[in-house]
Order: sequence, then structure tokens, then C-alpha cells
Amino acid sequence: MKLFKNRTFLLFLPVISFLVIPFYGFIHAVIQSIDGEGLAHYKEILNSERFLSSVWFSIRTAGTATIASIILGLGFTKAFHPFLARTSKRLMVWVPMLFPHFVWGYMVILLLSETGWISQAFAAAGWMENTSNFPVWTRDPQGIGIIITYIWKEVPLVILLLFPVFTSIRPEYYALVDSLGGNAWHRFTTIDLPHLFPVLVESFLIIFSFTLAAYEVPALIGTTFPEMISVLGYEWFYGSSWDDRPLAFAAMVLTSLFLLALTLVSYYGLSRPRWRAMRGDRP
Amino acid sequence: MKKFIPFFLLAIVFMTACSETSTNKNDWTEAPWKEIEAAAEGTEVRLYMWGGDEGINAYIDDYVTPQLEDQYGVSLKRIPLDTPEILQKLQTEKQANKQDGSIDVIWINGENFKNAKENELLVGSFTDVLPNFNDYYNTEDPAFQRDFGTKIEGMEAPWGKVQFVFHYNSEKVENPPATFEELQTWVAENPGKFTYPRAEEFTGNAFLRHVLYAQAEKPSDVYEQPLKENNITPTAERTWSYLNEMEKNLWRSGDHYPNSLTELDRLYSQGEVWMTMGYNESRAESLIKEGVFPESTRSFVMELGSIGNTHFLSIPFNSPNQPGALTAINFMLSPEAQLEKYKPDDWGENTPISFDQLPENVKEEFKAVERGKSVLSTEELEESFLPESEADYVDWMKEQWFNEVVQK
Repeated sequence: MKLFKNRTFLLFLPVISFLVIPFYGFIHAVIQSIDGEGLAHYKEILNSERFLSSVWFSIRTAGTATIASIILGLGFTKAFHPFLARTSKRLMVWVPMLFPHFVWGYMVILLLSETGWISQAFAAAGWMENTSNFPVWTRDPQGIGIIITYIWKEVPLVILLLFPVFTSIRPEYYALVDSLGGNAWHRFTTIDLPHLFPVLVESFLIIFSFTLAAYEVPALIGTTFPEMISVLGYEWFYGSSWDDRPLAFAAMVLTSLFLLALTLVSYYGLSRPRWRAMRGDRP
Repeated sequence: MKKFIPFFLLAIVFMTACSETSTNKNDWTEAPWKEIEAAAEGTEVRLYMWGGDEGINAYIDDYVTPQLEDQYGVSLKRIPLDTPEILQKLQTEKQANKQDGSIDVIWINGENFKNAKENELLVGSFTDVLPNFNDYYNTEDPAFQRDFGTKIEGMEAPWGKVQFVFHYNSEKVENPPATFEELQTWVAENPGKFTYPRAEEFTGNAFLRHVLYAQAEKPSDVYEQPLKENNITPTAERTWSYLNEMEKNLWRSGDHYPNSLTELDRLYSQGEVWMTMGYNESRAESLIKEGVFPESTRSFVMELGSIGNTHFLSIPFNSPNQPGALTAINFMLSPEAQLEKYKPDDWGENTPISFDQLPENVKEEFKAVERGKSVLSTEELEESFLPESEADYVDWMKEQWFNEVVQK
């Protein structure tokens, strides 16, 4: 067969074996969300105040955590990348990546809850009258605890993604900006940003999709209301009656479609600058 | 794209091929007991159960597991997993037509049992074959006929009996409230010192159903009537207004309800709240011993009564080791295992065994057990016992509570 003589085709094998199962899962989820009733379940969740508030809350929380992680990670890599060339120091930065998310979530509770270490230390030091004066940062309706956990976990990931790009920027570019009388801001906008932009967008997509749909951290340090979309989906899926299951599938299908659309938009948005970068002409 | 099609087909064929395994199996639920025990020897039994209580885990690991190994040559593996997730695993195995599963025994009751039974995830009726169940239990007891309103039909064996109690710190609370009105007054006088877990949580849901019982004309209006035939609206209205009135004086003004009983327990152990609760009248004992709860922890029930229920062991439809599962369940139902479970050292929970059917000396041993200072007397618990309502109420409560209390 001609098909199998073409060796390059074999390169697609791993991709296909990776994609078949998620694809099958997605189709299955769509079938379950319809459950023989057309779009009724979709209509139901889109009319549910609980679902809509959870969508807004999820996007806000995941968005804030992602943007903050990227800004902090970018600043850190920019400031410290010369030091990170040594492997031992690089490993130090990546220590938080060793712990699973829920362990980090527990750390945040231990440290930042109203009776956590920090509030007790403040009270012991006399800076606060008693521990109840400590602000509510975990299980709070603003999602502060969730955001802190994700920033803590994702900044090292951002460094991991950005570091190779930084080291690949040739120092001559900076020298050029300097010789033309540019300052640090010019260096950042004319050299760093164009180099980093595709990676930044990719990092945003990775972290945002992950935080938007993650379950364990919001379940651990989220509050009763509003709740993250995955927590609500879990409730519907594992709730005592199995009648709500199609709702859980519908919510997750919508989330997947939203993330897919976001990825496609960024992909097409990115491909133009990428082309130009490959041809060598920079804006 | 066309080039890919053969690979997709290949993958699909591969995936369907995986799911078409089936084995012929003996039905052990009718076999003579001697044969079952003989077949169980030297096998491994996998017990999937909720793992959130250290005392319960210690009872299984330090008592049941070594005893089963010594007496029957059965090696027990305890796998901690939440019951809905166990059922989900079974459901997936069923959809994939997997006849040789990985679970032999599950710990189950209430709405989980209802779901398991309705979706045919259980092996079927098996309690008739268990010698210990037939010898030492009152098999006619209504508590073994229905589980949250669902007919049991021999599909699960009674393992334990618990009652809902409130725990409080007697150093901070001198006179615990005796009625739900008094609780409301107490909460108003001590703002921020009381809360209850959210309705999705087992314990939180039980607390809310107590309030529902209290707001009905009489508790039996709720537990004797199926939800769909019950005119619940007036009772429900009173329940929501009771809870909403209380909300502003709860811990964190009711902005956040503990996600789990563990979270409430931690608040209690740190002194942030002065009461906790739980569906096991003696669960504070081991927590006091470990120093998690203060020594001065005591318990109380409301005058209205306290909901109690029975929990069970069952066997999934695709258990790979039915004789082992039956042997293990029979052992866990035995007077010796029940007595050990009754002692406050690890678990300390009540037994569904029938004292009248026990030999004199064993009965004496049960009577001699000191259950601990935080546990109410057997008489008081029995007097306040209220049956569980239908499983539908649990679900109804979850949904309504969110709409009527949290979102308001």
C-alpha cells in the first residue's frame, strides 16, 4: 500500500494515538449532554443563575491568576535570567512545581487562613489584636485564595517556558538599542516583547485553560457561592440523583468549546507575526 | 484527511475489542457456606470505602485485616475512595461490559445504595447466605428492610448503626440548646460561633433535615411520607426562614459554609466555632484522645429527636472474588468484630446486632464497654431515635438549600 510507504506518515502516529481518546471522550460527552433531549439541557444551564455566576467567577478567577502569573513570571525571568543559567539555581526556582496543586492549596490554607501561621504570627507579634482581625483570604467570595495558589504554582511554569526564549535573545540587539539611545523600556518593547509574544500567548492559553477547568484547588479553598465551574460540574455529576448528569456534561462541553475557540483565535492571531519572524522582517 | 481514516478505524476496532471480555462465573450467593469459606482461603479481597476518618481506617487496618488473615487466610486491601466515585467506577465498568472488576466489597447506604440498585451495580441478594447475619441479627428489623426508603432485598448487609449528635465544648457552652428555637437564640447570642457544612455534604444535609423535621407539624410527617406525595411547601417555607434568620449570625455571617465535615471539625478544634456535629454518636472519642478535640467536648441531641440510620456492606456485580467478599462481610458482621468496633478505641460506633440473639457472655462484654464521656447513654440515644426520610429528600434539600439560603 502506498500509504504506508510514506515514512513521514508514521510521525502522525503518536499524535493520533494521543488525540483519539480525548476526541472519543468529547463526542461521548456531547452525546451524554444531549441525552435524547436535544439542546434542552444546554438551555437549562444557560438559564440557570447558578451556572452563569459560576462561569463569570471562573473566568474572572482564572483570568486574574493567569495574567498575574505571567506578569510576575516575566518580571522574574527578565530580572534573574542570567543567574538562572546555573542548573542548581534553576532547580530552586522550580521547587513549587514538585508539589501537586492540592498540596499547595493546603499550604495556602495553613499560611493564610484566619487562624493560619501568618495571622497567628501577627497576633503574637502584637501587630493585630487577635487572629480574627486577619482578612478573609481563603474560602472567600472573591477567589483570592484560589488566585494566590495558582500564582504560586504557575509562576515557575511561566519561568520554565520563558527562560529558553530569554537565553536565545542575542545581546547584540540590546547593544543596538543602547547605541540608538534607547532606555530599558525600549529594550523591553522592541526586543523582548516581539520575541516573547508567541510564548506569552501560549503560556496564557495553557495556564488559563488549566485553571479554568481545574477542580481540586477550588474545591479545597473555594467558598459556597460563587463556585468555580468545575466544582458545580462535579456537584451535578456526583450529586445524589444521577438526573443532573447531562447538565454536568453540557457545562463541560461548553467549557471545552470556549477554550477551543480561544485557542483557534490565538493561533490565527499568532500565525501572522510568526510568519514575519520566520522571514526575518520585524515590525 | 482521507489518509487518516484507516487509523481512526483501527483505533476504534482496538477500543471495542478491549471491551468485549466476559467470563463465566459461579453464582456464590446460593452456595453452601463451607464451600464459600474454602474458596476464599488464600485470596485477596479489595474493600473500597470512604477513607476520611482515621479511627475507622485504624479499625480496618489494625483489627479486621489481621483477623481475616489469621482466621480465614483472606488478605484484605482497603482502598479509600468516596462512594459516589466508587459507583462511577462501577458504572463505567458496566458500560464497558467488564465482568471482572476490581472491587469486591463496598461500604454503602442511602442515596448511593439507591443509585447502585437502580443502575444494577450490585451482585444481587446475598444476605441469606451469611451465617452471622442469620444467627445474630433480627433479620425482620424494619431497619434492614429499607435504606432511606429504598427496599434492600438482601442486597446489602447491615454493618453499623449511627445516630446524629451535636458536639460542643462544655467549657465554653454551659447549657447547650435543647430545641431548634433555643439553638437560634444561642446563635444570636454568640454570633460567629456556629455553622454547619453545606448541603452537598453528608453531615450538613443531615443537619438540614433535622431542621426540616423540626419545622414540620411532627417529624413523622416527613419520614413517613414520600417526597412527591408530601405537601412540603409550608414546612419548607418555615425551614428556609429559620435558616435565613440564623445565617447572619453564623460563622463568617454565613458567607461561607464548610465544604466538608473535616473543615468544620478543624474550626471547632481551633476554637473558632464552639459546636460541631456528626452522624456518629461516639466519633468525638478518638478525636479527643488524639488531642484534636478539647477534653471538655460533650455531645447532645435535640428534644425533637436525632436521626439515626444503618449503614451497610455490599458486593458489586462484577466482584472478581465473591467467596472472599462474602467471607469478609460475614466476619465484619460477627459479634467479635462488632464488639471491637463498639469499643471507643478506634471507631466506637453502635452495632446493628440483636443483643437478644447473642450468647450471655458476649452480651455482658458489650454491656461492659465504657463508650466514653462524650457519648450519650444508650437509653437517651434510643429514646431520641428518629428514622431517616426517603432518599429523595436528600437531593431535594441540596437543590433547595442552595436556591433558598445561599443565593438569597
